[in-house]
Amino acid sequence: MADLSIVVRQVGEVAVLLPAGFINAHTVLGFEEALEKLVQDGHYTILLNCKDLSYISSAGLGAIMGLIETVREHDGDILLSNLQDNVFTIFDTLGFTQLYRVFGDENQALAAAAPEQKG
Amino acid sequence: MVSEVDQAQFRLIIPSQTRYLNLVTGLAKRASLVAGLDDATAAKVSIAVDEAVTNVILHAYHGEGEHSVELELRFTEAALEIHIWHSGQGIRGDQLVLPDPKEYIKHPRKGGLGLLLMSRFMDEVKFKSDEASGRNECCLIKKIS
Repeated sequence: MADLSIVVRQVGEVAVLLPAGFINAHTVLGFEEALEKLVQDGHYTILLNCKDLSYISSAGLGAIMGLIETVREHDGDILLSNLQDNVFTIFDTLGFTQLYRVFGDENQALAAAAPEQKG
Repeated sequence: MVSEVDQAQFRLIIPSQTRYLNLVTGLAKRASLVAGLDDATAAKVSIAVDEAVTNVILHAYHGEGEHSVELELRFTEAALEIHIWHSGQGIRGDQLVLPDPKEYIKHPRKGGLGLLLMSRFMDEVKFKSDEASGRNECCLIKKIS
């Protein structure tokens, strides 16, 4: 199994990014490139479905942090769903659960993203 | 081979390359379980070790892959200690200032979170330098309650 594989699909106006594996200093480049490509292509509402993400280090958090202001300046957002316990703990320990909207599953996140897309 | 070695501690030396991070974090997680820590705590220890070794590779050695990073695991009744040695650039005192999470959230930026994670997930994080040998050490301690 690859250290990190990334699938991106479009659901309405939301770009859903599914990282599978782990994100650390070794794998972060692929994750960062996938995020930046979405933003460059004009996708400003991005959902990270983390159901298959076993681990994320500060390198991965930095990649997300680096784009949050850009997407919000374009009335978009980065949402998170399906966090495994240890991944949630990392976000929560750093207080990032106040910065990002976290949802139990993808459908909840998509439903929450829909109103802002219509507006 | 182990007759002269204290059975409660052992060392691993890896090249200063990020490709080995997952090997090290996996080891740290397993070691935590062996030490008697629970799954959630073991995950935290492995993250702290990832951050510490990443700092060595990227900052102490500036991403140069031909150096060595030496790890020692020490199992005591009271704690699991993970000592990480390198011969690269030591961390300066002014680099040890932890970012304030609230300020960080107000002004998002890249970087600066590794030390914060290490300090939050471990009971003690210590940095030492030995000028005579040119070696630097990061010591991570997790108490066993």
